[in-house]
Parts: sequence; structure tokens; C-alpha cells
Amino acid sequence: MPTKNHYAFVIDVTRCIDCRACLVACSVENSVPMDHTRIWVHDQQVQGEWPTLSRVFVPYNCMHCDHPPCTEVCVSGATYKDSTTGLVLVDQEACIGCGYCVEACPYGVRYIDQKRGVVDKCNACVQRLEVGLQPACVATCVGKARMFGDLNDPNSEVSVALQNAKSVTRLDYEKNGTDTDPNIYYLNLAETEGILSSDTFGQVAQTTLPRDPHYTISEEGWKKVAIPLVAVAMGATFLAQAVFFTKQLLEGEKDFED
Amino acid sequence: MPKTELSRLSRRNFLKLGAAAASAFAVGQFIPPPVARAARQSGALDENGSGYISTMCEMCVWRCGVRAKVVEGKVVKLEGNPEHSHSHGKLCARGQAGLMNTYDPDRVLTPLIRVGKRGEGKFRKATWSEALDEVAEAMLKIKNTYGPEAMVFSSTHNLSQPLFENLLYGFGSPNYGTQRSLCFNAMIVSNLITYGMEEPARDYSQLQYLILTGRNLTEAISTSETIDLVDSIARGAKVVYIDPRFTKTASKASEWLPVRPGTDLAFHLAMINVIISEKLYNTSFIDQYTIGFEQVSSAVLSYTPEWAATLTGIEADVIRRIAREFAAAGRYALAHNGWRTSNFINSFPTERAITILNALVGNWGMTMFPAAGEGGGGLGSPPQPPYPRISAQRLDGVPWMYPFVPLKIGVFQQMRDSIVEGKPYEAHGWFISRQNPVLSLPDRQKTLKAFNKMDFIVTMDILMNDTGWFSDVVLPEASYLERYDPLVPLGNQIFIRQPVIEPQGEAKSALWVYKELGTRLGLADFFQYKDEEDYIYQQLAPTGISLDELRLQGGVTVPSSGDSNIFKWSTPSGKVELYSATLQEDNFDPVPAWLDPPQPKAGEFYLLTGKVGQHTQFGTQNNQLLHKYQDVPRLWMAEEAAQNLGLKDWDMVEVTSPVGSVTVALEVTSAIRSDCVYLTPGFGHLSMALRTAYGVGASDSQLHVTYTDPISGGQALSQTFVSVKKA
Amino acid sequence: MSHKNIPLPERQRLRQKMLKKHNLANILTHWFNVASWLLLLTTGIAIISSPRLGITPIWWQEMFRNLFGSDANLIRFHYTIGFIWIFVILFNVLVGFRKYFVPFAAHRMLLDKDDIKWMLTKPPQMLGFMKDKELPPQDAYNAGQKIYSYFVVVCTIGIMITGPLMVFKSLFPPIIKQIAQPIHFICVFVIVAWLFIHVYMGAIFPEEKEAFFSMFSGKVSAWYARAHHEKWYNQMLKEEMEWEDKVEKEVLESTQIKEESSALH
Repeated sequence: MPTKNHYAFVIDVTRCIDCRACLVACSVENSVPMDHTRIWVHDQQVQGEWPTLSRVFVPYNCMHCDHPPCTEVCVSGATYKDSTTGLVLVDQEACIGCGYCVEACPYGVRYIDQKRGVVDKCNACVQRLEVGLQPACVATCVGKARMFGDLNDPNSEVSVALQNAKSVTRLDYEKNGTDTDPNIYYLNLAETEGILSSDTFGQVAQTTLPRDPHYTISEEGWKKVAIPLVAVAMGATFLAQAVFFTKQLLEGEKDFED
Repeated sequence: MPKTELSRLSRRNFLKLGAAAASAFAVGQFIPPPVARAARQSGALDENGSGYISTMCEMCVWRCGVRAKVVEGKVVKLEGNPEHSHSHGKLCARGQAGLMNTYDPDRVLTPLIRVGKRGEGKFRKATWSEALDEVAEAMLKIKNTYGPEAMVFSSTHNLSQPLFENLLYGFGSPNYGTQRSLCFNAMIVSNLITYGMEEPARDYSQLQYLILTGRNLTEAISTSETIDLVDSIARGAKVVYIDPRFTKTASKASEWLPVRPGTDLAFHLAMINVIISEKLYNTSFIDQYTIGFEQVSSAVLSYTPEWAATLTGIEADVIRRIAREFAAAGRYALAHNGWRTSNFINSFPTERAITILNALVGNWGMTMFPAAGEGGGGLGSPPQPPYPRISAQRLDGVPWMYPFVPLKIGVFQQMRDSIVEGKPYEAHGWFISRQNPVLSLPDRQKTLKAFNKMDFIVTMDILMNDTGWFSDVVLPEASYLERYDPLVPLGNQIFIRQPVIEPQGEAKSALWVYKELGTRLGLADFFQYKDEEDYIYQQLAPTGISLDELRLQGGVTVPSSGDSNIFKWSTPSGKVELYSATLQEDNFDPVPAWLDPPQPKAGEFYLLTGKVGQHTQFGTQNNQLLHKYQDVPRLWMAEEAAQNLGLKDWDMVEVTSPVGSVTVALEVTSAIRSDCVYLTPGFGHLSMALRTAYGVGASDSQLHVTYTDPISGGQALSQTFVSVKKA
Repeated sequence: MSHKNIPLPERQRLRQKMLKKHNLANILTHWFNVASWLLLLTTGIAIISSPRLGITPIWWQEMFRNLFGSDANLIRFHYTIGFIWIFVILFNVLVGFRKYFVPFAAHRMLLDKDDIKWMLTKPPQMLGFMKDKELPPQDAYNAGQKIYSYFVVVCTIGIMITGPLMVFKSLFPPIIKQIAQPIHFICVFVIVAWLFIHVYMGAIFPEEKEAFFSMFSGKVSAWYARAHHEKWYNQMLKEEMEWEDKVEKEVLESTQIKEESSALH
């Protein structure tokens, strides 16, 4: 859906030095619990044969997709694509922390903050945008790899960067009728099958991102079993009473015979 | 850990107690100014105690300007100060984590006095009055019994250094320990001899070709310079990076040369050989502004690329090509003089060779400039008497063992060694401020031996680090977000270090502690300021700048006091001394000459050290935010070497050197030469009071053998060789 | 028994005589429940906004979100009413649980043999079949109503448990909330399905007109009771006769005493 601002990240991976200032800044700015992180730097590890080695770092976080799978499954309407900024946000007062959205995200960027019982993720520091600041990760990026701005504005840093870029790629997820259309644009990232997720902040690689959205058993059961059954039940009873009601109307009011 | 709870001294009660102190060392009415009151007065905070306060970071020595966001008296976020030339509005991971350093639950917030054995970690809380009395008493006892020189003072160089020196020299001791000799003595001494200044400034804006010898700028982050490097690369500058490890900087460099450790010197000498023999140098600069070209030319005759190739492992053609490329870039080229240059006994001549490379391309005034003036701004200072005459020799051998090492810098590891040997005399007391020598000095066992010889050890720190753990008294310093420090100009700007929040607990600034202690030691004349604010008033007095203005802005620009003629050097000749008569006079090589470094035996490895972007040396490992995002510190080893030893990734291995051994997990990687292993320093803490850091990783200080370069006094940290086997 | 055998005047008398079927507590609880359900059902449906499940039309969601200002306010309203509803219902059930609810449940909720037979006969009769078959007598609540009450009890318990699981979100792991949501949904809409029947049978079906009004007055005519809830009717008659006997006996006794005492004087 077209939004007033089309906020996006543009990240030049040649400039990322994996200093992790962004990770710390985000944790502080957004009071992220110690055992979770809202943003990551994917380390592609040393590649190649000695001494022709290479290593690339790929920062990532919520992609603020144009077609987010997460908003499709939220039951309470807590997560939504903001119509003004285009950012995918979570209203944590409406969130009940069920985690359907965590499973549905192909980038694994959402997590449950168990202390508050709600879902949390990168919100592009919307509280900073409101006062004219850049997201915390972008503001402090030492290598100036991270850029953020409004793609609807042709003069914004991100628009200009994309225009002048030699190579632009996105970790787009396009499968089974879902096309996320993510809003992190990578500059100078070689075409890749995907990046590896990090479970414990870069120590052990887990899944390849983007991954297929997962739909939990309860949600699938709800969608494919419960709703049809309930619909049938309601249909049957409705039909039953409709039949009698019609019969009643046709036969006229049968009062007690006198 | 504290045994008995003494009543805590509240700040309000301090005034009463101060006046009523029965001790012989009467304490003045010293009231630290409430931070919020001052900040509100200057306009930085509103009536709720919220707003931004400008200060400077202290998570490393780069001291980036910081804008601290305060909400109702609590610091909630740190941003880089865009006006500050060291930060350009950015803060690295450590800078961003700074508030976790201040709010670390393991902060020492009251003075502590040891009750158990040294190293047991058993302390009791004490009042400042009691603690300072005890410290002064112990120090005076040592002074009166053994002479003031028996008291050793060491501090990592910081903004309060002038007052630390007042304490040291006022007391009458010559024994000044800093961390410098573990880091950049080779670079500093080389620059002093060549240029007459500690470190020329570098300008990347026109840079086209850079030779980095070590100086892993993307991990040993100096914010503004790291930004400059990344910008230069993005702009198309060529970067040649020399390092036995494929670090993150190597991954950004245009060309990475995995040179054999200790042979950088050969590489540079060969480059000089090519540039001179092929006449690629800047004749005008050489003729006008340098001396010693002839001597250098003849000295490098034998240092051909072919010669260097066998030593370094880099092909002769590559060396030749790089020399030509470097020279072709002319004034737009730069050979970086490095930072931590404490690698080998030949690190000093390596540094000298680098200065020659820069002279050959004549980049002075383009990529190299005179250092920013330290005396800029015309700052004043409180009056003080001249220091008492000190006749005792320094334990660190300066200048009688090391004639070229500046007194302010010293040779720290030598001081420690002399303490252990008891020569030329015994030391009996040690005052440590903002430093962790137990982990920073090579050969930790030896450092602890030195500690055991002390009658009295007092440490001033914000956490119970390893040095505090082995001390008799620990004094809680206010963290950098909680205190003022003296103003130190940065070029033609003056930035303020001011408190962002009220100091927590009983923590106090160094300015306060030094004055309090100094007064008790009879040195009140060296601390003629009422309080921290008064000190800064006195510094600002001659400038006409108001303290409120400085507090609000964070920094002010002052008229430049530097000379407009930059082609002047404070050397005996007034020129760039490629040849140093001063060195010659002391029978050292006046021009750099090849010095063969020791090599490991078969089956042994060079033990390399280095930096990571998420930590600073030995003090940040307890910071929970940095701990969260750090790599698990493991020993790097090449695949080939690991296979030969039957080792796998994540195996626990025992690493043994001539002085000690550690057990640590292994990281098998292709990013290192097969004759090297690498361990990130700063882990393996001994203090159990560092609840986040304790038990993580291993300490390389337990492995390092002490080797001191006779000219610069620098420790040769890469000269330790280790064997590795499965634990 | 068929009404055909009762003479007209008797029938008229029966129609006029009223029996108390529902006490005030029952009536208030019922209508409180209706009111709560109206609020909870409408807001609850408005909350479910998963496009993948596609349960609630967007216009319904938006109407309520506009009404309450935000998702969070709508949810807060829903569970506030929910908690009030839980409290009142539980209070009604549990206060005097032994004295009132247990006998209520025993008589009006447990199925017996007549009920089973009735279940097999009544629905076909309503469709116009088995016109000749005789319906077994029913108690205060007929079998259909009894079966309905089972669903109500089970589903209400389901709603009352799963609701708070979602409100006290920090106390429970995500999996609990993942399962609670569809269960909450199923319990609600099973009852809604039954409501189609309950509301029709109670309010619209002409035979049960008196039943509808009895949820206000608490009373049904003896005629109605005899026709639809014969067992209960007989029980009421029995109690009435017993009561009459008892009163007669007491009057007799007191008169005798009077006579005896006056005789003595």
C-alpha cells in the first residue's frame, strides 16, 4: 500500500567493519533485554584459499517489508504497517505475545520479550524519527555503512545512494505466493542465496535467511480446522432455526387453541 | 566480600564529618557540586533533570566527544558529539556501551579496606576519611622509613595526569609507571628522534596510497581515523595492510601481506632500497627538509627486495611493485607509523624506517602534519611550587638504562622487574590509578610477585579489577560520566569532561581524591583548588571563556597558537632527522638497520596479540553490553597447524610459554599464518568481583615473556613463543 | 398427557394459575450474561484482525477501532468487561454453591431416560414427522436445554480460562497464548451456534412464548408447565398439595389446642 513516507535502509557492506557499535546503540536506545537483540551483523566468515581471503559483514534487522508475512497472522492487530511511515511496527499494548508473527517472519527478526510478554523487534527507532534523529544504529555507524531515509524523497541520502550504486540487492523472499519486498537495500553485496542467522549473536550459524514463514500448529489448526468446523456448526444451527422460522411465518401464528 | 558493614558516608553527612574529623590530617570543606544544579544553571538540563550534556568518552584513549542524553537524572543514551573532531558524531561499540560501565552492578562505590589475605578478595567498607587516612599513613611510613622513592606510582595516561604527577613528584618519588611502554614507545621515541614530536598528525582527505603496518584500524578503533580509513577506501585509495593475521582491516584493504612476524622492518628497508635505487623519491623535500639521506642510501644498499623476500615470505616482485606504487603516489602516499608498536626488539628501527618512507615521498603538509599543539588555548592552571629535588634513580631504568625514553613515559615492565629483583633498591608501596597492571604487564606471575613484595598497595578504580583484587585499599573513583577532569586542548578546541549524573555511592573524581590524599601527605600546595569546578575556573581564567558556556556547548574553539610554518621540527638540526646523531652518540644505529628477530623453534608458534572493536585492553570485559556482543575469546590457529596437532575447532587447548600456561578454547581459522597463534588480550580475569568477566577466556599476560627494547623501552609482545596441545 | 382430555374450565384455570420457574437471581444472571455477551461478542469479533484467518470483515474491525481509538483500548475494554463477567458469573455460581447451584444442577441439568427418548422424538416432530408418537414428560428443562447447558458450562469454563491467559501475557510462555487463542474462539462460537437455537426456541418459537416472558417475570402458567415440563409441573403440584396439607394440619392442631384449652376453663 502506498504510504506517505517510504522509509528504508540502504546498507553498503563494503563499509561495514563489524565494530558492532550499532548493536550496542540499539540495545541501549530501545532497552533491549540482555538475552535478545533487535539487530544483527551477519559475518560471512573468512572465505577463500590462503592467502586470497575475503570476508564480508552484512548488517540486518527487520526489513520493514512492503508485504510483511508477520502482519498477516497477527490476531490482535498489534503489528501493522504504518500508513504514514511505511514501517512495520508493534503496538505492544495490543500485543498478547502469542508469537505467531515471530514464526511467520522469514528473516527471524522478531522475538518474545518474556518479561513483558510481548513481541519486540526493530522499529527503526520511530521515537527518534519523531524528533528528527536517525535510528540509533545509523547515527553511530562508524563505517557509515548504514543509511536510512525516505525513498519517496528523491534527494534523501538513501535515494541518492541507490541512484549512484553500482550494485543493489535485497534479501527478498519470493516463494509460495509470498513476496516480502523488503526495505533493506544492500549495496555491493554479491548475489547470495541468503545469509546465515545467528542464534547467540554471531557464534553459531543457525538457519539460512530468508527462510520459509512458519505457521504454528495452533494457528494452522485454527485456520484449517476450527474455523471450518465452527462455520459448519453455525451454519447448521442457523439453517435449522431459519427453517423453523420460515415454517412459522408461513403457517401463521399458532396460538393455543381455544 | 566486605566483611563488616560500616555506616555509609552520605554526601550530606560528609560536610559535618569533615569538620569534625579528629584525624591529624584535617580535611577541608570540600563539597562536590551537585551535577544537576550545575547543568540546570548552564541550561543543559530542564527542571525535570532531562536534556543533553556534552562530555568526553573515556572507554579508550581516543576520547571522542559525547552528547549524553539524561532523563530525570539518569543517563539513558550516549551519542557522538558532531562538533568533536575525534568522533564526528559517532561512537564505537565501547562508547555506546559507556553507560553500562557507569551502571555496572559490580561498581565499587565505597572505599574498601582489605581484611583477608591479598588476593582473597575479602574487603570491608570504610569511610573516605578512614581509607584516605590509612593510605596517607602507610605512604608516609614508607617515605620516612625507606625514602619517598620506595613508593611507586602508576597510572594509565589520562586527563588528570597533571595532578597524578603532582602527587608523585610532590611526594618525592621518581617512580612513574604508565602503560606506554606496553604500547607505543617504539613509535613515540622514533618520532621524537625523527621529528621532535611524539606523533605527527595524519590527514586522509587527499590520501591515495596507504601502507598500514599492523594498525588494525577497523578493530583497534580510533573513531575519526577509522572513519577516515573507510572513507578513503570507498573513495578509491589503495591500502596495503601488513599483518600476519587476516583481520577485519585486511578484509577491507586493497592488498594484504601476511608478513612473517618481526620482519616488517625488512619489508620497509627493501621499499626504501627500491625507492632510492630507482630514484623515485621527492628530491626537493629530501634536500630541503631532511638530513641523513646519504647515510640512509648507503645503509640500505644490501636490503634488496630479494633479500627481504626470504625473510618476510613476501615475493620480491610484490615488494618492488608496492614500493613503486607508493612512490608514484608521491605526497598523497602515507606510511602509517602504527600505534601499538610493542612487537619485537626491532620495532624501533621499524618505526624509523617508516619515517624514512614518509620523508622519501615528501608527504609532509599533505598527508602528514605537525601534531596538534598541546599548549593551545592559553589555558591556565592553579599555582604550585616547584617539585622537590629527586635524587633517587628511577626503578624503570630511565634514563640510566634507557636514555631515549621520555620521563613521562617510562618503561613500566622494567619498573616491575626492578621491584622483583630489589635493584637498585627495594620498593615498598604502590599507588595505582586507573590501570590494571596485573593484566597488562607481561608475565602476570612476576607482577604478582612484585605485588607480594609490597608493604602497601592502594588502587583507585571504578570496578574491583584484578589489580584492586590484590590491593590493600581500593578507592572508588567516579566514572567518566560522573566527574570533571582537567581541560586538555585538542588542537584549537577545548572540550570539557563534565559529570552527566551525580556520582553514585561514595565515588569521587580523581581531582578530589588526589587533593584529599595530597593534603594528608602535606602536599596541599600542589592542589590549590577548592573543588573540581574551581580547578576548571582557574584553567579557563586566562582565556575569558565562561564555564557555563563551556558546559552548555561542550567545547569551544580558541585562536590557534600554532606556527603557520609547518616545515619546522624540534630536532637538533631543525629538520627531519633520517640520520640521528643523538642515537649515534649512544652507540645505537643512527639509521635503521636490519635486526634479526628471534624465531620460534619447530612446533612452536609466535603468540600474537591485538585488539577487538568491542573491548578496550583490560578494563571493559565486565561491561554487560560489550559482553553481550563480543566474540568468545579463543586461540586462533591455522587449519594446517591444527591438523598437525590433531586439534579441532572449539577444543580446549593448553598454551605454554617459558613463563606460564593457560587453558583456552581453540578457533581454527584460515585467517592466520600457520606459524602463529593469536589470543585477544584482556580476558582471564582473576578478580571474582567482576561477575560478568570472571571465568571468561584466558589471559595472555600469563604467557608473555618480558623483552624490553633498549632504545625505546618498548615491550616486545610478539616475541613470546608458545607450544599448544590438547588440554 | 394430551391436553385434549382436560375440560375447558379446567384449562382456563390452569392457564391463569402461575408457577414460579425462575428466581430473581436466575433472571438477573441470565440478562447480565446476555448484556455481557453482546458487548464481548461484538468487541471480540472486532479484535480478530488476522488477514490469514480472515474471520472479521475489515469494516467491522475499523468501526470498533475508531470507536475506541486504538487496538489497545478495544482490547482493554473487551477484557475489562470480560473480567466483570467472570466475576459476576462465578460469584453467582459459587456463593451458595451447595445450597442453590448443586440442586439446580441436579434437577435441571442431569439427563435421564425420558430425556434421551425426548431427544430422539422432538426434533423429528418439529419437522412434521412422528406426529403420532407421544413425547415423554420433561423436567424443568427439557433434554435439549440440558444438552445446551453442558456446552455452555464447558465452553464458558474454556473462555474464562483462556481469556486471562492472554491478558496476563507476561506470566505465560508464547505457546500457551498460541493455543489459548483458537480455544477461546472455538468456545465462543460453539456457544454462538447454540445461541441460534436457544434464542429461536426461547424467544421466537411460538410454543415457547411463555418461556420468554418467564425470563422477566419468573413465572409460567400451570397450563404451559403441564404441557412442556410435566415432571416439574407434577413436582410443583405435589409440593403445593404437601404445603396445603401441612397448613391444614397446623390449623387443625392449633384449633384443637384452642378447644382443649377452652375446655379446661
